[in-house]
Amino acid sequence: MRNKYPSQLVFLLSLTLLLHSCSGIKITSRYYFEHEKVLDQVESSYRTLYKDKPFSLAFTDKLFRTLSMEIITDSLTYIYEFNLNEKRMNDTAAKYHIDTAGLNRLVGYMRSIHCTWVNTFDYYVDDSKRMLIFISVKPVMTQDVLSYKKYYILTYYTQPQHFDPQGRLLDKRKLRRIRKINGEIFYRINDKVCYTISGQFR
Amino acid sequence: MGRWMKCFLVLCTQHLTYISPAMPMPGIPGYDPLTPTSTQQQAIVFVDSISELSPSIYWPGIKPALFLQNVKTNVHEPLSIYPGRGTNFCGYGALTYLFLQDDPLGYARLLFQLYREGKASYRNTFFNPSLEVESAAGTLRSKGILDIHPAEQMWFLCLADHFKGYLNFFHRTYHPGDEDSFWAAVNYAKFNRMVRQLLHYKVNARGSDLFRPAVGNTVDYITKKMKEGIVVLYVNNRILHKKKLEKIKLQIPTHYVILESIANVNDTVTLIYWDYGSKTLRQIKSGFLNKIIFGISCCTKKETHEE
Repeated sequence: MRNKYPSQLVFLLSLTLLLHSCSGIKITSRYYFEHEKVLDQVESSYRTLYKDKPFSLAFTDKLFRTLSMEIITDSLTYIYEFNLNEKRMNDTAAKYHIDTAGLNRLVGYMRSIHCTWVNTFDYYVDDSKRMLIFISVKPVMTQDVLSYKKYYILTYYTQPQHFDPQGRLLDKRKLRRIRKINGEIFYRINDKVCYTISGQFR
Repeated sequence: MGRWMKCFLVLCTQHLTYISPAMPMPGIPGYDPLTPTSTQQQAIVFVDSISELSPSIYWPGIKPALFLQNVKTNVHEPLSIYPGRGTNFCGYGALTYLFLQDDPLGYARLLFQLYREGKASYRNTFFNPSLEVESAAGTLRSKGILDIHPAEQMWFLCLADHFKGYLNFFHRTYHPGDEDSFWAAVNYAKFNRMVRQLLHYKVNARGSDLFRPAVGNTVDYITKKMKEGIVVLYVNNRILHKKKLEKIKLQIPTHYVILESIANVNDTVTLIYWDYGSKTLRQIKSGFLNKIIFGISCCTKKETHEE
C-alpha cells in the first residue's frame, strides 16, 4: 500500500508535464528567430509582388498541395484554387500581370515552413490608413498535438510600433489601449514584427 | 436523429427567434407605413445638402466629419458597406445592402435622425439604443475600414442591440468586444424577420440554422429565385473561407452573402456574390455548393398596401 501512492504521484506528475508540453505556449518569439530568414523572405517577396497586383495566398490542405489565391481588382475579387505545380496557376498569374517566377519562389518559401496564409491587413492610426503583412504558419512541432492554438501568426509593420512593459502591442503610445487583430493580442519580437498563437490561421 | 427530435430542432430554429420582437410604434412621429421607395439620386441630393454636422451628445465616440463622410460614401457607393473584420456583423451588412438598394434616402434620413436625436424610427421599427451601444459607436478598432466608418459602427450596433434571436439569449447587453461575440450573431429566422419588419421586402426563405434546404437542384432553384428578386445566401463560411486545416469541420452556417449571379457549366458553378464591401467571383463544384448552403432567401418588393 505504501508504494501505491508514490507511483500514482509519479504518473500524475508525468501526465501534467506531458499536457504542459502539449499546451502550445512553448511556441514563442524563439520560433521567429529560428526561421527568421525564410519568414522574412516570405514577407519581402510578398510585399514586392503585392505592389504590382494586390492578392493573397493560402494553403487549404494539410499536405500543402492546394493553393487558394485571391486576386483583388477594382471591380471584383477573384478566388482561384490550384493544385501545386498546376500550369493553370502560372497562366492565371500572368493574366493578372503577377510575376510568375516571383510567385513560384514565394510559394516555395511558404511551403518550406508550412506557411498557411499571407495577406495584407489595413489598420488606422489617427484616421489614416496603414498596412501590415499578416503571415500564418502551422509549425511542425510535436508539443502542440493537443493544443487548440496551432497557428503561429506574425505581423510585419512598416513603421515601429508601441508596446506596453509586457511586450503587448498597443494602439497608440498615448492611448495605452491593446490592439487586437482578429481578436488576438500580439507580442513584440522587434519594433516592426509581432507574433501571436491562434486557433485559426485567418 | 429521431424524427421527433428533428422536428423539435427545426421548430427551435424557425420559431424560438421570436422571443423579442421589435416594438411597433405606429404613434411615433415620422412613422409612415407607405414610405415610398427612394432612388439613389434622391439620397445623393439629400446627403450632399448637408455640409457640416455638430457633435452629438448621444454618440461621444463619433467624430461628426467622419460620420458625414461615411453616410455620403454609403449613399454614393452602396457596395462599399463593410461589416468589419472579425465581427459578427455580416447579417446586418447584408440587410444594409438590401436597405440601400430599396430606400437609400430612408437609410440616410434614419442614420441622421439616430445621430442627432439618439433614437429614430423607420417604418414600424423604433430604435432606442442602449447607453453601452452609444458609448461604443465610433470606438471599434482593428476591424479594417470599419475603424473609420462611425456611421456603420453606429448602425450595426443599433441593429444588434434592437433585434434579438435565440443566439443572443445569453448575451442581451453589449459589453466591449461583443461585436465579435454571440451578442451580434444573426440566426437565419432573425435575419428574415429583420428584412420583413424593417424593409419594404417580402421574404421567401428556404432553409434553417441546422439543416440544408431541400430544394432539389440548388442551382436551378437559385436561378429561378434570382429572376424574382434579390437572393441572400446563408452559408457555411468555415468551408468557403477556410480558417483551419482540420479535416472535421462544423456543419454550421455563419455567413450571409448577396448573390449577384450564378451559372453552372459542366458541374462547375461560377458565383458572383457581395460581402465585406466588394464583389467576389468564385468557381466551385455543385456538390460543394450544396454542402455550404443552409439558407436561400429571396427578397421581393412589397406592394404599397402590404405591411
